[in-house]
Amino acid sequence: MSKQPADRTELLQGTLDMLILRTLLFGPSHGHAIAKHIQRTTDEVLQVEHGSLYPALHRLEKKKWIASKWETAKDKNREFKYYRLTHDGKKQLAVEESKWKRLAGAIACVMWPAEEG
Amino acid sequence: MFGRRRDDELDRELKAHLEQEADEQREAGLSPEDARFAAQRALGNAALIKEESRDVWTWTWLEQLGQDVRYALRGMRKSPGFTAVAVISLALGIGANTAIFTLIDRLMLRMLPVREPRELVLIKLIEKGRTGDSLSYPVIQALDERRDIFAGVAGFSGAMFNTGPSSAVERVSGAWVSGAYFETLGLTSPLGRLLAREDDRPGAQPAAVLSYHYWERQFNRDPLVIGQTLRIEGNPIPIIGVLPAGFNGAEVGWTADITMTLAVLAQIQPERAALLEAGPQWLRVLARPAPGLTRDQVNSRLAVIWPGMASVAVTPKMHPERRQALLNSTLAAEPGGTGWTPLRNEFSKPLMMLMIVASLVLLIACANVANLLLARASARRREIAVRLAIGSGRGRIIRQLLTESVLLSSISAGFGLGVAWWGSRLLVNLLSSGRRQTLEFDLQPDWHVLGFAIAAAFITAILFGLAPAFRATTGGPGAALKEDARNSHGVRGKLPPSLVVFQLALSLVLLTGTGLFVRSLWNLQHLDPGFRHEGVLLMNVDARRAGYEGERLAVFYQNLLSRLAQLPGIQSASLSMNTPLSGGIYSGRIAVDGQAPSGNAHFNAVSPGYFATLRTPLLTGRDFTMSDDANAPPVAVVNEEFARRYLGAGQALGRHVATEGDLKSSAEIIGVVKDAVSYSLREPPPPAVYMPYFQRPKEMGVATFEVYAAGSLTQTAQALQSELRAVLPQTPVQMQVQPLTEQVGRAMIAQRVMATLATGFGVLALILAAVGLYGLLVYTVVRRTGEIGIRMALGARQRQVQWLVLGGALKLVTLGIVLGLPAALAVTRLVDSMLYGLKPNDPATLVSAAALLAAVAVLAGYLPARRASKVDPIVALRYE
Repeated sequence: MSKQPADRTELLQGTLDMLILRTLLFGPSHGHAIAKHIQRTTDEVLQVEHGSLYPALHRLEKKKWIASKWETAKDKNREFKYYRLTHDGKKQLAVEESKWKRLAGAIACVMWPAEEG
Repeated sequence: MFGRRRDDELDRELKAHLEQEADEQREAGLSPEDARFAAQRALGNAALIKEESRDVWTWTWLEQLGQDVRYALRGMRKSPGFTAVAVISLALGIGANTAIFTLIDRLMLRMLPVREPRELVLIKLIEKGRTGDSLSYPVIQALDERRDIFAGVAGFSGAMFNTGPSSAVERVSGAWVSGAYFETLGLTSPLGRLLAREDDRPGAQPAAVLSYHYWERQFNRDPLVIGQTLRIEGNPIPIIGVLPAGFNGAEVGWTADITMTLAVLAQIQPERAALLEAGPQWLRVLARPAPGLTRDQVNSRLAVIWPGMASVAVTPKMHPERRQALLNSTLAAEPGGTGWTPLRNEFSKPLMMLMIVASLVLLIACANVANLLLARASARRREIAVRLAIGSGRGRIIRQLLTESVLLSSISAGFGLGVAWWGSRLLVNLLSSGRRQTLEFDLQPDWHVLGFAIAAAFITAILFGLAPAFRATTGGPGAALKEDARNSHGVRGKLPPSLVVFQLALSLVLLTGTGLFVRSLWNLQHLDPGFRHEGVLLMNVDARRAGYEGERLAVFYQNLLSRLAQLPGIQSASLSMNTPLSGGIYSGRIAVDGQAPSGNAHFNAVSPGYFATLRTPLLTGRDFTMSDDANAPPVAVVNEEFARRYLGAGQALGRHVATEGDLKSSAEIIGVVKDAVSYSLREPPPPAVYMPYFQRPKEMGVATFEVYAAGSLTQTAQALQSELRAVLPQTPVQMQVQPLTEQVGRAMIAQRVMATLATGFGVLALILAAVGLYGLLVYTVVRRTGEIGIRMALGARQRQVQWLVLGGALKLVTLGIVLGLPAALAVTRLVDSMLYGLKPNDPATLVSAAALLAAVAVLAGYLPARRASKVDPIVALRYE
């Protein structure tokens, strides 16, 4: 548990929710797959702590941004709880995305001012 | 159950996750077993994930609360001894506090059960900078007409009425009220009508309103009572209505079973008709401001109009100085929603004192329970460590431990409410003992009391529960799991002994208070009041109601006196205007030998034989005789204090004394008697002048007969009563024949009550502290069993082992005394004014309190010490 590769980055507070919503934009998925997808698409830079993944999923479900359903995976004989983006979730994703863009832009202005000039 | 289903789902979800992860690891080439472990490592703390995911759903805290409560109840059932000790000590502590609060609430905080009580104001009169609670009848009537300021102004005063047929006259408590009383309060009658302004006009027909309780008790709630008559002071008075249940008059603590208007006072008690004039200020005043007016506006309007109205408060008969003072007086409106009572002045300080004492006892009880919890938490350290290790959050465990504390204190508060129900009655009985009229309060617990008990329960739970809960969860799982099993039973650290020292120190404070009050009472009981009360009976007689006046009254009293003196067993009989410690005084300025008035003295008018009956020694001169009557030259007897203060070193006999009101008739001093207390036992005897009762027929009125009898006081009392009934058939059944001893006892009642209560709380504190110390020592012995075994194996004697434990106890109690002494000195200074004959820093009291505490500490240490010395070294060492 204590060994963390140096090139892995901790997720910023609150961004996990956005990433989960974004991942689910591709279609319904279960917890394990969501974590794996985030790790793979970021070249293992972002490590999703399962300790925060499941509470986050339940939090989003409670806010009705995602909905869940038990289904058997196509390729395996195993039941998974599939999460799917709701209409509210889609709207929320747009909100988070624009917020994040503003934040990233602002941080960039501070960090690399020369590019602006 | 919803929660259970969600739990299962979460389990399935995580299981699926683990299996999927394991599959992938296997595909990556790991063995099935390694793959499973790798998957578990990747997932991390499954219990924590479950807990946090569960927490997302808000119902969890309720669910957890349910779990915690069930768990706590199970724990309590498993250790009944602990639970009983904790609940009993907390219930007593919370109960005592709640009982005292109940009384404080009823006396000072509770609103009158009338319409919009918060609007009501009390009108007070400020005269020469002194605020008085009472106004005269004409002033109240004049204020009631100021509709620009008041919707209504009501005057009222408590009274006792001789009620019923002449064969069975009873004294019933009641009230005189002004006509606007019920309208001002906004009350309506459930039966008949209440008194109104028309009933308070000169010449109005007398009418009585009954309290609901009296109607219930006396008339069995008969609705036909309206229009019937009730004999009051011998007059048939029609009953016109019944008060709503719950309202017993605007004077808190005084139940007015019969209410009548002031205007009819002159018809019913003619001898008191002068009370309706402007002179006597005896009515308390509640007013309701005109709609929309605030209290400030009332005050500023009063300031404007009163100077123009103040003339209603004076009469031409008044002393010019007093008339001027009244013309220059001001009125003030103060918040009046809680009504009026003289008890507030009398009891607010003792009650606050009691509240402090009771909270100290509660603190001691809290310290006890905290220590018990600490000991238990230590015993449960392993359990808690295991729970921390398998992933419970620390906050979650603290919450659970606090739930146990709150549950414990809530159960205690439940029992405490029972204790309070009983305790508040006991307290009222104690406080009203020795009064002519018992105090009456509605002591049913209401939301005020309930709220107080709940708040007390929560505060105590936090006080005793927080520290143990935090300590139990510090250090993490590792340390606790590594410890050996036996050690984990011990009570470690400095907290438990400090709590015990704290308890002992507080107990010392309370014991010191107990000692001070008990010794004050002893001092009062053993002081020489200057008269002897044993064997003396007093009987109050007022023959004016039977129509005797002037010369006839004097003859009546003289005849009665000689009849009483001839009763069997009577050694001596006399009568007087006043008796020592009756609660009343007549005092005024005196002038000696025709000079200008020089100072104050107490007066009494007494018949011949008064000093012999009360056994007050006559030092020089002679007693009065029957020939010192209205036709004889005026004479007087003075006491030593009077002679010392006003007559100087010179001969007292033959000199003259006059009262300020009657400077012309100067009386010759014919005797000097020993000093006797007058108004209060606590005050040194004031200078006193005694005049012959029958020399001043104009001032005659009510008389107290006193007889000194050998033999049974009860028989003598019956003889006195039948003697009285023979000549005054209108005498009430419970006509007051009472032993002088009772009157003296009444003068000590406050002291006795404080001593009783202080003793109760002192003993309670001592027991709680002893239990705390005992518990700590028992745990210490258990923890050190191994060490004691080794010592004994190496040759330590039983006595040395005992000393080991007792020494510990003595160390703690010494520390407690060292810390408690300054606290006791600081706290007892607050009660200085309630003590008699000693100072709060009385060394003897402090030393005996400390000695008692030390003795109890040794007693509490004795059992654990014996237990330690009975340790079998072989058994103890086999443990190692």
